[in-house]
Amino acid sequence: MIGWYEANIVLIEATFLNFLLALSIQVPLRVGVFSFAGVGSYGLGAYTAAILTIRYDVPAFVAIGAAVVFAAVVGYLFSLIVARLNGLYLAMATIAFVLIISVLATNGGELTGGANGLYGALSDLTTGGVVAVCVVVAFLLALTERGPLRRRIEAVREDPELSMSMGIGVVTVRQLAFTVSGALGACAGAMNALLRTTVSPEEINFHLIVLALTMVIIGGSRSWMGAFIGAVIFTWLPSMLATTGRWQDVVYGLIIILAAIFMPTGLLGLVQSLYQKLRGRSRTAAPAEPPAEEAVEERAMLQALSGESKEGVR
Amino acid sequence: MTTTETAAPYVLEAEDVAVHYGGIKAVDGFGLRLPPGKIYGILGPNGSGKSTFLAAVTRLVPLTRGRLLLDGKEYHSEPPMKLARKGLARTFQTVRLLPELTVLQNVQLGADINDPRGRLRSWLGRDRPSEAVEEAIERTGLGDVRNAWPTELSYGMARRVEIARALAARPRLLLLDEPTAGMNHSERQEVSELMQKLRDEGLAQLIVEHDVQMMVDTCDHLVAMNFGSLVAEGSPQEVVSHPAVQEAYLGKRWRSHA
Repeated sequence: MIGWYEANIVLIEATFLNFLLALSIQVPLRVGVFSFAGVGSYGLGAYTAAILTIRYDVPAFVAIGAAVVFAAVVGYLFSLIVARLNGLYLAMATIAFVLIISVLATNGGELTGGANGLYGALSDLTTGGVVAVCVVVAFLLALTERGPLRRRIEAVREDPELSMSMGIGVVTVRQLAFTVSGALGACAGAMNALLRTTVSPEEINFHLIVLALTMVIIGGSRSWMGAFIGAVIFTWLPSMLATTGRWQDVVYGLIIILAAIFMPTGLLGLVQSLYQKLRGRSRTAAPAEPPAEEAVEERAMLQALSGESKEGVR
Repeated sequence: MTTTETAAPYVLEAEDVAVHYGGIKAVDGFGLRLPPGKIYGILGPNGSGKSTFLAAVTRLVPLTRGRLLLDGKEYHSEPPMKLARKGLARTFQTVRLLPELTVLQNVQLGADINDPRGRLRSWLGRDRPSEAVEEAIERTGLGDVRNAWPTELSYGMARRVEIARALAARPRLLLLDEPTAGMNHSERQEVSELMQKLRDEGLAQLIVEHDVQMMVDTCDHLVAMNFGSLVAEGSPQEVVSHPAVQEAYLGKRWRSHA
């Protein structure tokens, strides 16, 4: 067991860091905001922590804390800029945010180490520290998945207009989601930079956005548990598929496609509906008439859409 | 309608309200005054501006012109989410229940407004439904389906949940946009009776409805509108027998019935 742990320490740490990264995408998604800004915050956090550690030799928790606060503030300010955007347009703007961070890192001169990035961010951060942070984050998020907070989050995502008439400050909730997303992304980035002791601009690229989104969609987008499941799968899958040799990318892609088709609510959703079936309660048992009509309409719309585009329709 | 009363004589006052979308005048110079403990109804054909007026009253669409007062205080420049705490609750024309919450949780959402930050106890411990929630569920007859999902309900039942959610906020003014649409006769009767009971307890209500008979049976006062403005106003019998109203909304068949 100890031997296995020693051999896989990098993957174990990566699982927890990916978990935090996935959460930085999931938190805005839960309130209906399609934002990838968390990936940009990951870069922001990684550089902030690395610079503070290399230049000022601060303790790990100071470097991480400063990175989290800085990215949270940037996330809040970014939410003000994109306040009027929604859906695809918002998603595009947040992708631009990620790419801007990457460009800034590449062209930051001495401060960011240019295209080579930064090296030698030696700190006292341990695996235990990373796990402890994740446990605290998961606990806090679990509180938002029950009771009055959950109800409000559901309302803001499903029906912003209804939420307003129920007295919920939709704009504030959205701003908060961007702020928390910034903090979570930065936390992952900062801890990654300190554990690896390096950071480089090519880490913050489109691939990282895809990875974060895949973890949330396949794992489950409604709960921190979904993000955790996604993080475990997509951290370990590539190394497990190594046995398939040159077919690795094809198998990886196939698994994602099949999962997206057959598990629209993610693995967590699948497990939950199985559990409900075992208890003899299915939430889609007897749809009333209007929803049934809607479903037919929706299907017709999907068919119309799929005639034009084979992808992107869930 | 005395002017000597000290407390605000009306729960809701709307004066010269106009909502224009470019050249389209959805509501144009409409107004009404709703005293406490009365049920007022707005009658009018599709596209007459009824629902837009309700949206304006709840601040979901901006006013082009006009004044809105709640308990004598102007509120037409306040954001919509402030109104719930001032005692205004509404239902919508279509069923808008949250699909991933049970009936009970949907109703609880209504009551959350009186517990703005969410007590720490309900974050950490058991989230027990408040008295207002239990009462709303009981009065709307939802006890048997309290743990059902919205997709499992009939349309009429789902509409009741909407009413329960609004009632759980313990409002001073309740706005109902076609509350009995999609309900059968006995369900309509029940909703009508519930509304009258609530009125007798002092709750002011404003209804928009297509069902003329239900409006006549339920409302204390009717306001008829067409093309965004007032056509007739008065007691239900007066309004439905008003020639302009009969011609515009009810057609000749109603005249022969009346």
